[in-house]
Amino acid sequence: MSTRLAARDLTLAYEGRTVVHGLHLEVPTGEVTVIVGPNACGKSTLLRALGRLLRPAGGTVLLDGRELRSVPTREVARAIGLLPQTPVPPEGITVADLVSRGRQPHQHWWQQWSEADERAVTVAMERTATVELADRMVDELSGGQRQRVWIAMALAQDTDLLLLDEPTTYLDIAHQIEVLDLVRQLASDAARDTGRARTVVAVLHDLNQAARYADHLVAMRDGRIIAQGRPRDVVTAELVREVFGLDAVVVPDPVTGDPLVVPGPPWRPHGHGDDTRTGVTPTEVARTEDDALPHP
Amino acid sequence: MTGNPPATTAAAPSGGPAWVARPAGYAVLRRPGASLLVNRRAVAVAAALAALLAAVCVTSLCLGETTTSPVEAVKVVLGQPSPDELVVGTLRLPRLTVALLVGVAFGLAGALIQTVARNPLASPDIIGVSHGAGAATVAALTFGLTSWQTLPYVSVAGGITAAALVYVFAWRGGLHAQRFVLIGIGFSVALSSLSNLFLTHGDQFRAQQGKVWLTGSLNGRGYDQAEPLFWVLLLGLPALAWAGWAMRAVAFDDDTATALGLRLGRVRLGLVGIGVVLASVATGAAGPVDFVALLAPQIARRLTRTAQPPLVCSALTGAVIVVLADLLGRRLFSPTELPVGVLTAAVGAPYLLWLIVRARSGGPR
Repeated sequence: MSTRLAARDLTLAYEGRTVVHGLHLEVPTGEVTVIVGPNACGKSTLLRALGRLLRPAGGTVLLDGRELRSVPTREVARAIGLLPQTPVPPEGITVADLVSRGRQPHQHWWQQWSEADERAVTVAMERTATVELADRMVDELSGGQRQRVWIAMALAQDTDLLLLDEPTTYLDIAHQIEVLDLVRQLASDAARDTGRARTVVAVLHDLNQAARYADHLVAMRDGRIIAQGRPRDVVTAELVREVFGLDAVVVPDPVTGDPLVVPGPPWRPHGHGDDTRTGVTPTEVARTEDDALPHP
Repeated sequence: MTGNPPATTAAAPSGGPAWVARPAGYAVLRRPGASLLVNRRAVAVAAALAALLAAVCVTSLCLGETTTSPVEAVKVVLGQPSPDELVVGTLRLPRLTVALLVGVAFGLAGALIQTVARNPLASPDIIGVSHGAGAATVAALTFGLTSWQTLPYVSVAGGITAAALVYVFAWRGGLHAQRFVLIGIGFSVALSSLSNLFLTHGDQFRAQQGKVWLTGSLNGRGYDQAEPLFWVLLLGLPALAWAGWAMRAVAFDDDTATALGLRLGRVRLGLVGIGVVLASVATGAAGPVDFVALLAPQIARRLTRTAQPPLVCSALTGAVIVVLADLLGRRLFSPTELPVGVLTAAVGAPYLLWLIVRARSGGPR
């Protein structure tokens, strides 16, 4: 497993409050890594540090073996593309203008629009199906369209590493799937078209989507990595309890066979006796899954 | 790991892409090793503004206590002999030159500072430049510390010092646009009450001069005031070319701008620095001509419909506003002359209120 981006003994803090404690991580090259964990577990903070948006309080982030802090920020921007959780577009900007600004790290004030810029933006917009939106105002787009446009901008930056902070937030389920499929597609397209490996690191909050879309899953809690590896090896009822503090059963996803996390039945008033509504109790599933779960 | 150069692989598909990305409304000028993106609408707007500016300038040269024909006025400007050489060449042209340069400088300063603050309310008037320059000048005047010749330098020093203080106080691990504006307003209020203190306790004759200066006036201004401004603008041209480009990325939120490889702290400091110097020198030449720096970029942006205030059009708009305001100030209640700052404030204050009311009612940010 090769790595271009790694964290060594990384400690991250916001104004004196430590959020991530002595963390080690090697991002596998050419794969989709997904970081999951409960709210405030430090997953977004970790992603920000990997993208040099946050200065480590201790330890280092390494890009190709060099300390990230010592690499000029423009050079970092040609290696790492990053989409923040809630990016803010300039007021009244068109889609094509926004996407073309992803070329900033490749440009100078005397070199504002080279043929390479044009090519990269064209490819980025075709890949994300944003061509027909080119002349629209970003403010007028739907959430799903807007997210595709932001991803197009990060793609136009033409980097081998792509960091995405909760790219599916605020999207309905169809658009979530669309964006996640796009992310997987991007990772494999790059290898096919250019022979270069594109590495994606995404923070997601939906564990089931993470299990489906990740090659490499990283589960965090309280600023530490609890488990990492292939989703099939990592996602168990025990892990879900340890990381999220949730009692659930883990069954094979009927479509993909990946682990699917099903929480226990919803709360109901006593005396209705309808906890057999589905015909399956967590205990029964646990027995069939060989994955013991105490009955609530 | 490094792979092929992208050029060889991307050119492979036959015929090339059917659709080529280009920011809407931009033309591309390309030479080997250099390329420029030119906003077509901005070029048209700039041409129209330049024509309007020329018309206003000629009108301003023609009108006064005696009226001159436009032909004679243009002759004087071009250095040809003319019977109106004295009144146009000696009296009106120097004053017009100052008005023009002051407008350009305020327009540019406003565009730069509003872009960095991502806030149309942020202008040199609000972030402390004007009031810093004002307090320093009034202090120097009322205490008789300086002559009229050195006065511009005092106001430049005051403006830059005040802006630097605002910048330092607004800095907390990064520059936050909101805090920048609020601290600027706080400093402005403090500095203007300081000016008032000097005015009420200083020598009354000098205080009167200070009051006139504080409203912003072009009366009696000429090439002595225009010259420093001209050099600052000329030497600043390369910096402005850079600024126009850097503004494209600064317009994003901090994280996105940093992800695009911008050294945000330095770029912002650079842009604000250029803006503060321009505004201070302009204030030194004509006093704080209120609201020009606030109005010009916003008008220009609405005309060009660009995502951030366009520099060239903001400069031209600023020049039109100041030249026109000075013309109206001279002629409206002639022979009584209104200082140029009174007229710009009369237009600018309602506009400022409108901006605030519109922001409150949940309009676009």
